[in-house]
Amino acid sequence: MDYRQTEIVLSARDVVIKFTLRGKTLTAIRGVSLDLYKGESLAIVGESGSGKSVFTKSFMGMLDANGWVDSGEILYEGKNIARYKTEKEWLEIRGKEIAMVFQDPMTSLNPLKTVGLQIRETVELHRKTANAALTVSALKASETKAIALEILRDVGITEPERRYNQYPHELSGGMRQRVVIAVAVACRPNVLICDEPTTALDVTIQAQILALLRRLQEKYRLTIVYITHDLGVVANVADRIAVMYAGDVVECGACDEIFYDPQHPYTWALLSSLPQLGVKGEPLFAIRGAPPSLYKEIRGDAFAPRNPYALLIDFEERPPWFEVSPTHKARTWLLDPRAPRVTPPPLIARIRERRERREAADDAR
Amino acid sequence: MPADREKLLEIENITVRFGSGRKKVTAVRNVSFDIYKGETFGLVGESGSGKTTIGRAVMRINELEEGEIRYKGARISGKIPKEMDREVVKNIQMIFQDPTASLNDRAKVDYIVSEGLHNLKIYGSEEKRRKIVERALLDVGLLPEFADRFPHEFSGGQRQRIGIARVIVMEPELIVADEPISALDVSVRAQVLNLMRTLQREKGLTYLFIAHDLSVVRFFTDRLAVIYKGAIVELAPTEKLFANPLHPYTRALLSAIPQPDPEYERHKKVETYDPSLHHAADAPEWTEIEPEHFVRIDIFGPKSENA
Repeated sequence: MDYRQTEIVLSARDVVIKFTLRGKTLTAIRGVSLDLYKGESLAIVGESGSGKSVFTKSFMGMLDANGWVDSGEILYEGKNIARYKTEKEWLEIRGKEIAMVFQDPMTSLNPLKTVGLQIRETVELHRKTANAALTVSALKASETKAIALEILRDVGITEPERRYNQYPHELSGGMRQRVVIAVAVACRPNVLICDEPTTALDVTIQAQILALLRRLQEKYRLTIVYITHDLGVVANVADRIAVMYAGDVVECGACDEIFYDPQHPYTWALLSSLPQLGVKGEPLFAIRGAPPSLYKEIRGDAFAPRNPYALLIDFEERPPWFEVSPTHKARTWLLDPRAPRVTPPPLIARIRERRERREAADDAR
Repeated sequence: MPADREKLLEIENITVRFGSGRKKVTAVRNVSFDIYKGETFGLVGESGSGKTTIGRAVMRINELEEGEIRYKGARISGKIPKEMDREVVKNIQMIFQDPTASLNDRAKVDYIVSEGLHNLKIYGSEEKRRKIVERALLDVGLLPEFADRFPHEFSGGQRQRIGIARVIVMEPELIVADEPISALDVSVRAQVLNLMRTLQREKGLTYLFIAHDLSVVRFFTDRLAVIYKGAIVELAPTEKLFANPLHPYTRALLSAIPQPDPEYERHKKVETYDPSLHHAADAPEWTEIEPEHFVRIDIFGPKSENA
């Protein structure tokens, strides 16, 4: 994908998000800039508390009441949605333009309403405004039912007529997540944000749901943002990856660049702690310490205290972006020309070796 | 299996059913396996497969309808003498999945960690009890002064460490760990797994490790049983199982593991398991296909077994 040619759907510029909690102010997002390109899959990875959910919630005006966008802009189709205040303004964006799939399908569906009704609700609420120019009256019930059934079929639900009248508790976890996806895509959004969409599911179901999301993406030219901590899932779905730590994006690049040529020590640490790379009998790589408190002002590189490769300057000054390739950049002083040369940990090289071995095997064949 | 290894736990043909009358469901169907002293035995399967039920049956929370569980050769399922009961409570302990739900929020860490000691009254003097708690907290990488705090003051990883301290004060031999790391963050998972490994080496523990995450299981277990709809379909030393998965369900499960390798992921084919491929002619057989590698050959087995 050539990103210079691709249209930018959403653009965040120096976004700062703050919360007040028991009289104290914490900075959850510390000046993040990120572009979202039309039709891509962007994965935002990081530990809990890194701000990945908060950041994307600000695209939909879903921050909790004690949080606000302090500075910076979020541009969507030329409008700065970071300035939106009222629910009415947000309704134009939320669900219609940017929709969301949540982690736990049992809590994001209404247990008292049938599957069909929940899909129809969104269709009625949003398509009505879309069709306003054509017909003043709302869609007829039979029409919305037909649309809802079509969507159910679209997300791979067998026997949609029967499922239409069932309640969420009558469905399996995988089916429920399909319904959640159906509700999200029912009003044909531009951007779909998936917050840990498969964390609550079994591996076999997970693979099915990811395949479904990919198929829908192609069909509707959706732009999908995946929020996850599971780097295995990311390798499967992402075109581009942004790694977040303590409210900041520390590295951003194409999927292959992040996995085969990561630059930031935090990305190294995150990849190294995967059990898939662990060697039996040896301890698994673990990141020392804990993330910094967001109540305090962070000086230098937030990861420095936990980083065995930290330079002195990491404790003093926040690193700027260093460009590795036109699509790959990282925020670490290690990339400064004056920095000493550091070789990434051997576990990182193992991912690359695996690929090389596979290529050699393919060539031999 | 080499005959010289001591069988710590023997599970023989156990069946667990829930409910009554026509609503009765079979959660675990005729499951048998042994756990040897000092090993980590893994149980994997999807949610609803019955893996937790087996763990709870070993803890004697779920009653057996059929079959028997033996600990060091003596039956522990069903009615057993009081003396024996105390013995089993002390020697078989459990680590739970969710450290936010499994710790009493109104009790201090000191009480939580020593509750088991209180119950069995095996701590001697108050001074001795405090010593034991202190030791246990240090063993799991926490500070002794944490004893006077409440669980809500800790992070998820620290709470799981408290959950482990709670278990090791009893000096058990067998620990049933039911998804001990699935509620934790990626970087904390590694810490907790390493801790469990270290404790195993230091104290000679045996684990029954229940999980759905296959990459964790591969890394952590010595032998592994794959369970599908309440029945074990394949059992082998972990490496053998991963190198040569035979049952179609195992193959589907292993093929679905996400790998941190984008190129591999782009080209991988996920196998799907279709229970209807099973034949309805012969009875399924539990067969040793290579040394220590067992598989339920019900490729030609009756459909009803999987329905």
